[in-house]
Parts: sequence; C-alpha cells; structure tokens
Amino acid sequence: MTAGTRALNRPMTLSLPRPRIASSQALTAFALLAPSGVFLALFTYWPVVQVLVGSLRIQGFGGAGTSGAGIWGAGTWGWGNYARLFADAHFRTAVVNTAIYAAGTILPGIALSLLFAVALRETNWLTGVLRTLVALPMLIPLVAAAALFAFIFLPEAGLLDHYLGRFGLAETNWLGDPSLALGSIIAISIWKNCGYYMLFFLAGLAGVPQDLLDAARIDGANALQRFFRITLPLLGPTLLFVGVIATLNAVTQIDHVIVLTDGGPSDATSMMLFYIYQQAHQNFDLGLASAATVVSVAFLFALSAASIRRLERGIHYES
Amino acid sequence: MRLHLSATLAALLLAGGAARAATDIDMYFPVPVQGKLAVEMQKVIGDFNKSHPDINVTAVYTGSYDDTNLKTHAAIKAGKPPAVVIMSANFVREYVIDNEIENLDPLIAKDGQTVDQFESEFWPALKLNSTEGGHVYGVPFQNSTPLLYYSVDAFKDAGLDPNKPPVTWQDFVTDAKKLVKRDDGNTTRWGFMMPGTYDYCGWITSALAMSNGGDFYNTGYGGEVYYNTPTTIGAVKLLDNLVHKDKAMPEGVTDANAVTTAFFQGRLGMMVLSTGALSFVRDNMKTPYRTAFLPRALVNAAPIGGASLILPKGNSPEREAAAWTLMKWLVSPEVAGRWSRFTGYFAPRIAAYDLPDMKSFMAAHPNAKVALDQLQYARGWFSTYNVVGVRKALEDGVQAVLAGKATPEAAMAKAQQEADALLRPYVEQTALKVPE
Amino acid sequence: MKADRVPKADRVWLALAGLGALLWVIPFAWMAVASVREAGAGAPDLAALWPSGPFGWRNFADAWSAGSFPLWYLNTLLVCGGILLIQCITVSLAGYAFARLRFRGATVLFYLFLLQLMLAPPILIVPNMATLISLHLYDTLPGIMAPYCASAFGVFLMRQTFRSLPRDYEEAAVVDGASRLRIIWHVLLPLARPGLIAFAIVSVTSHWNEFLWPLMATSSPSNQVLTVGLASFTSGAEAGSEWGVIAAGTFFVAAPLLVVFVLFQRRFVESFTYSGIK
Repeated sequence: MTAGTRALNRPMTLSLPRPRIASSQALTAFALLAPSGVFLALFTYWPVVQVLVGSLRIQGFGGAGTSGAGIWGAGTWGWGNYARLFADAHFRTAVVNTAIYAAGTILPGIALSLLFAVALRETNWLTGVLRTLVALPMLIPLVAAAALFAFIFLPEAGLLDHYLGRFGLAETNWLGDPSLALGSIIAISIWKNCGYYMLFFLAGLAGVPQDLLDAARIDGANALQRFFRITLPLLGPTLLFVGVIATLNAVTQIDHVIVLTDGGPSDATSMMLFYIYQQAHQNFDLGLASAATVVSVAFLFALSAASIRRLERGIHYES
Repeated sequence: MRLHLSATLAALLLAGGAARAATDIDMYFPVPVQGKLAVEMQKVIGDFNKSHPDINVTAVYTGSYDDTNLKTHAAIKAGKPPAVVIMSANFVREYVIDNEIENLDPLIAKDGQTVDQFESEFWPALKLNSTEGGHVYGVPFQNSTPLLYYSVDAFKDAGLDPNKPPVTWQDFVTDAKKLVKRDDGNTTRWGFMMPGTYDYCGWITSALAMSNGGDFYNTGYGGEVYYNTPTTIGAVKLLDNLVHKDKAMPEGVTDANAVTTAFFQGRLGMMVLSTGALSFVRDNMKTPYRTAFLPRALVNAAPIGGASLILPKGNSPEREAAAWTLMKWLVSPEVAGRWSRFTGYFAPRIAAYDLPDMKSFMAAHPNAKVALDQLQYARGWFSTYNVVGVRKALEDGVQAVLAGKATPEAAMAKAQQEADALLRPYVEQTALKVPE
Repeated sequence: MKADRVPKADRVWLALAGLGALLWVIPFAWMAVASVREAGAGAPDLAALWPSGPFGWRNFADAWSAGSFPLWYLNTLLVCGGILLIQCITVSLAGYAFARLRFRGATVLFYLFLLQLMLAPPILIVPNMATLISLHLYDTLPGIMAPYCASAFGVFLMRQTFRSLPRDYEEAAVVDGASRLRIIWHVLLPLARPGLIAFAIVSVTSHWNEFLWPLMATSSPSNQVLTVGLASFTSGAEAGSEWGVIAAGTFFVAAPLLVVFVLFQRRFVESFTYSGIK
C-alpha cells in the first residue's frame, strides 16, 4: 500500500478554513477552477447546448452539410428531426441493441470480475500472475482486441470453431448470424473489461476487515453466508462505482462494432453511438445525429443525477 | 539568333526548375489485402518520385474502400484535400453531385486530347463510372469484376468436370448442390460462398440482378434504384434457395476472410470474389483452381468494380498539375500492366495488353484472361446520391434473407422504401424540381 | 499465507480462477503464435495454439513496412503526454480548490464538474467536431487532446488526495507568506504523488487505447494515432486477411503498455486500487 492509500484511510477531520483568508477564498477558488472550467465549458457544456440547437434545425439537401460548422448554418427550425428520429426503425433497433448490450455486459461483467477478485484476493506470487493475466485485456485498445477476435470468431477455421469443432460444435457463424452477433460483441466487451473491474473490487476487498470474516467463520458462517452477509454489503460503494463505469462503457465503447461488423448484419449490432456516428459521418445528416445525441445525453444526465450524489457520499464515508 | 534565344530560355527554365522546390502532393490509397500490396504501392510511388524529381508524392494507406471514402470526405470538408485519391469507382458520382472533385476535361484538353480520344484508351465498360454528363471526373486505375472461382479437386471429387464450370443459374445450382459434402450433420464442404458483408454484398447482388436481366440502378441519374423489382427479387431468391432450400451455402453473413479461408482449406467448392483477389488466391491456394464467368439467368453480365483516380477540389494549381502528372503516369500502359500483374485487377488501359510482359503473363495465367474476357459483358457499377446509405438499405435486406429472417419479397420491398427515403432530398431538388 | 491454512473451498475457487485466467489469455497466445508463423492465409492449422513451423519474423517486417508505426507511436506519445501534462495542471488546481477552499456554490460547481464523467467526449462527437473546426483545431493533435484537458475524474481524485493530507505544512507555509500556487506546487503536490501517479496511469491507459474520437477528430494520415492506424491496417477491401500480418500489427500496438504493465505490475495494481477509492 502506498502512503497515499494509508492517508486516505485515515478518518477525515473536518477543519474549517481560517477566517483570516476566507474573504479572498471565493476569488482564489474561481481562479483555480478557471483552467478546468474553460475546457469543460468548451467541450462539455457548450456541446450540449449545440446539440440541443442542432437537433431543432432542419437541414436541406446541399445546405450547410458541406461547411464545417454545420450546426449553425442556415435552415428552418422545428421538431422534424425528432419526428424522423423516432420514426426511424434503425434508431429503435439501435436503442434496443444498446439496452441488450448494457444488460449483457454490465451484470455478467460485474459478477465475473467480482468472482475473480474474491478468488484472487490473497496476495502471493500465484494470484499475482493470475491477476496479471486477467488484467491484460484492459491494456490493449478495443480495436486491437477486435482485430484478434476477428480471427477467433472466424466461422469453422477460427480459434473458437477450431476447438469447439473437436466437441462436434463447429460451424457457428459468430458475427454473421444476426441472432448471435450482438452476443459475440458482448463477449468481447466482457473479456476486455473484466480485469479492469476486478482491480476495483480487489481494492474494495482490501477494505473488508479480515477479523470480521474470521469471526464470522468461527461463528459457523459458511463461505456463501460470509460473502453475502459481510463482504457484499461492505462492497456497496465499489459496486456502485463499477456499475457506473460499466454503464458508461456500454454507452460509449463501440470501437469493436466499427471494426468488426459495421453495425451489421442487418443492424444487429448497431447501437446508439454507432447510429450517431453513422448519421454524422456516413449520411452527413447532422440534424438526425444531433437529435440522437440529445436523447443519449438525456439518458446519461438522468443516470448522473441518480448516481453522482450517492457515489460521492459513498466515497466520503469510506475516506 | 532563334537558337540562341531558345537555349537561353531552356537554361532559364532549368535554373528555375532547380531553384524551385519539388511540389509535395499526397495520395490516399486503399488495397484489397494487407501487407504485400501496400508495400508494392509504396514501391510504385517510390519509382515515380525517382523519375520525377520535381514532384514528391507521399502515398498514404487509408484502409478499405469505404474507409478511404470517409477519410477523403472528411479531409475535403476540413479544407485539407489530398491531391489524388484512388477512389472506389462508384463513389465518383456522389463527389460530382457534392461538387467536391475537379472536372478533368481542361487537363485533358491541355494535353491536346479530346475527351473522346482520352476515353477511347480505356475499356468501354469503365466509362459509366468515370464520366458524368459527358465530362471526365475519374481516371480508371485498378478495375475488377466479380468472378466465379472454383476448386478443381472439389469438382473432381463431386463427379463434376472441372473443364465445364456452370454457365447458367440452373447449372450453378445443380453444381452447388453436388459439391456439398456432409459428415453426420457437419458440413465438411460447402457448394458456394460469397462475402455478404457491407460493400461486397451489394456488389454481388447487383451482379446477379443484372444477369437476371435487370438494370439495378439508373445509370444516367443518381436518384433511382431498382430493388423492389422482379429481377432483383429473383437474384435474392437464388441466394435464399441456396442457403435454405439446398443447404449449399452457409446461413448468415460470411466475410471475405471466411470465404477465402474456407476455399484455401478445401472446405468450399465455388466462390464469387473480385478479380482483385486473383493474386491473393494464387499465393495462398495450394490445390488447383480455375475461374469462370458469373453464371447467367438471361444474359452474361457483371458490374465493374475497383477504383478510379480522382482529383479533389481545393488543391493549388501546382498541386493539380503534379497530381495530373502522377495520374497519367499511373495509368500508363507499363505501370498499369505492372500493377495488374501484381494484384489481379485488370489494367484499365487497353494498350497495356499489347506489351510483351503482359502478353506472356496472360499466356501463363489463363485465370487472368477469363477476367479480361468477361469485360465485354461488363456494366456500370451502382452509383447514386448517398451511395453508402442507399447500398446499405439493400444489404440489410439481403443479410436478413441470408439469415432466414425475411423473405426476398418483403426484404426488397423494405429496402426499396428505405433507399427511396434516403434519396428523397436529392430527388426533390433535381428530378422533381421542374420549372414553374 | 501458509498453504495448510487455506481452506479447501478457497483452493477450489483459486483453481477455477486459474482456469478462467488461462481462458482469458488465449487471444494473446494466438497473437503470439500467429505473428511468428510464416504459413499464409490458407494454412489448415491456422487456429492451432500449439506452435508448428515454419517460424520467422516476416510478418513483423511486412506489418512494419505496411503501416507507419514510427509515426503512429510518436503521435500517440505526443497525444497521451500532452493530455497528461495539461490535465496535471488543471486537476491539481481544481482539486485543491474543492478540497481546501470554502466558497458559495462549491457543491453545485462540484456536481457540474462531475457531469463530465458521464457526458464523455465520444457521446458528444458531433458538436465537438464543430467546435474543433471553428477553433481551427480539426485534424491536429491538439484537437485530439482538447476535450480531455479537463478531467472530472482527476479533479475528484485530487480532491480526495488533498483532503487526506495533513494541513500542518500548508499552514506553516501560509504563515511564511508563500503564495497559494507555491504551496500547491512545492508543498502539496510532492505529498500527493501517489494520487497523481494513479491518475497518470488511468489517463495514459485510456488515451493510448482510445479510437473513436481520434478517428473523428483527424483526417490526415500524418495525424493518425496507433489505434486509428491499426484499424485501417486490419481492414482489407476485397480479398481476405493475412492473419500473421494482422497479429504482428496488433502486437506492435499492444506491446508497449503490456510490457510496462508486466514490468511495473505491482505499481499498476496499487494505483488502480488507489484510484478506485471505493
């Protein structure tokens, strides 16, 4: 453990600032926040305003689409983009796929990484090696993972079918069958992120007092009871933190879709962000892309509102 | 005196040339296979730079045809257009519609040629995708058609005569069924495969629709496609039957990787791939194979494919001049022939085939000759406004059929509807906008 | 840990985790074997994990000459380094303000900052592109970096770190009349090093691996980073794939972080432990 971790675990003392410097504090604070504030304004708040405006602007053929700052170009105003968005079957498919993808990556991913963390919580050379192996995928870009899985999922000749074939399970078209493609994409995400979440859980488990577990064991609680009655409740804040990260990953990570399937076959792996990317970059339909972005932002905003306070409180209690 | 003057002029020009720095231009290029072809393209450009000291070309590998298109669009919009792009030939029309590439007529005229003279040096089938309204916008560079590849061993094993590849759809279906080999439930050899991923899927489907007597798209106008038509539905039905009725083709979408790997490993009898894959197949196929024309329903037909050289707008006159020099050099019979022999694409320049190198190559590689012979039946390549989106509408439909999720009729009706919606903004501003 | 104290159930778990870890590493194993296997695309044992020859370095040579790896490495290093440098400044200052200063609206501002955790740049690609173009940063390396110069995660982490430090040193410095910037720079930051290192590791890892935003924010190949280069490198257009070359190229992209991780594994894990802050 580093000095910092130890320091963090020390109980916080609430020390009020000295009255002598209080008067100038607001100004100083704003000066210190300004550098971050400028960038946040430019690349977080302003974009939100921009998509709100852009989503209400109706763009015609040959209009601002060819100029760079498209959102502010000429055009008429109205709800047309939203009407088109909600009427678009591709968008509905993308929303449903995102929901399936989120459900398929978040819960199994967290469960699996928690299992790894619990099994590898002791620190010795063996668990060190095993932790490293599980953590490796988080270090490579998702594009690189996709390049490897392009071969793994190759029908019949690929790694998966080659070895499954020995059990008579060959000939699965992992990425080419619309019913399986999303599942295959989910599998890549779980493989990629599991180690990352495991590291957070390992950190969380370090905070679960061993004597509490030992006492429970002496009282006759079995492993499952100890896990569900003691470990899991104490991991609450970590679970929430990892849950939020996993949700964010589910919404923002589509690199493997772009490299492997391009949203296909038949839209089976198209997701919200992929839809936005496609409208903006392929169809040059900024109105539709903006409206879809607003919907995504609204969802994430709701998620933030629900989780940030609790997240912050959780961390506060711990420190 | 006159002699003296021209000598002075020449000296001045030379001095000027030496004092002026070489013009730097960049060229985006896609290649069909990683590794070797990209390396070879760098060598070709290196040779150009050596023989043209006043021009310095940087060749940049930009991925697949669709990726190259995205990058070119983005670069033009950002005001940093590349000087030359090897662009998928069917995207040229969209660049013309968007007013993003140069009309090459003035450059041709400067060389003392008429447009007709210039065009006559290329195979006639290439004209549809390189000109718009009689003006030249693209210079064909590496061209292809879909081709039927078949394994000689598989044919023999199935009791078929390798010297008689299928000619009609009827032969094709019969052979595909015979080529299938099963081993308790598992298929150890498929009759037929084709890449069903985006881009390839639309291209092969259009080939089948054309050989079924259709046109697939309006060659003269970028706002009409013919998806919900008997000829296209019939083409999709053919694939549907091969997958679901005859079980001669695997269900779902297979990509080019899966198709070629199956072919190389002896698990596949026939496949349709681009002529641009010829050298890749030659290098990796260990057992004998042959090529043949695409089977026909009514007529022999195959859309052209491959790429043309384009010159994006927004380049300085010096860069344009340098780009034009590069373009002409790349399609010179010698260079075009060399690239053709290396890749498998056919050389767009007719004169390339008169060179001794090319003659001996064609004699030694009958498969390459089949590709060239099919050219007489070649058609234009599907090109519209928003071509990627309009193509995807069809491909989503075909993919649904291949996966058993839709009937050909329903899938094509839906594809037509979607394509029409995507084309609407353009159609309303063009064909439907009549004088009042 | 003594072996005889390990309960049987724990050993079963450990064995299962071991199996899982082996499963997890298979893709890397294939990458290693395929990148040195010379047989081309059609070999019947393409998928075999057990090495069978002939072996050689040809795939690496082909991959290296087909892609512009030196350029991609350089660009990636510049982007990751540039982002990190600016972030260290912005997050230290803001973290300090939230940790130590009391002012009206601090809570609201803090939540406003945290919003960036959720509204990640990939979601805002469309408007961010427009902003980049109007700032003349489109298709530049600073353009890739810009949206990440402020980091809610970093501010959050530094606030926690500063809060955990004793106030004694600072107060002594204040009495000596040192300016606040001097205090942050000379007194607090050295003490906050573990927090900064943790943040640096998370930051570099995520930006090294990022794909969609650099793909959108640049167009010239001279501005490509590793991930964008690899993506165009692995996508062929018409025929098929040279798996060995792809494996070798993937290796080039993945190798630096993997090597660093294996060398500094403990440090890495500690940092993540630290940054998780539960």
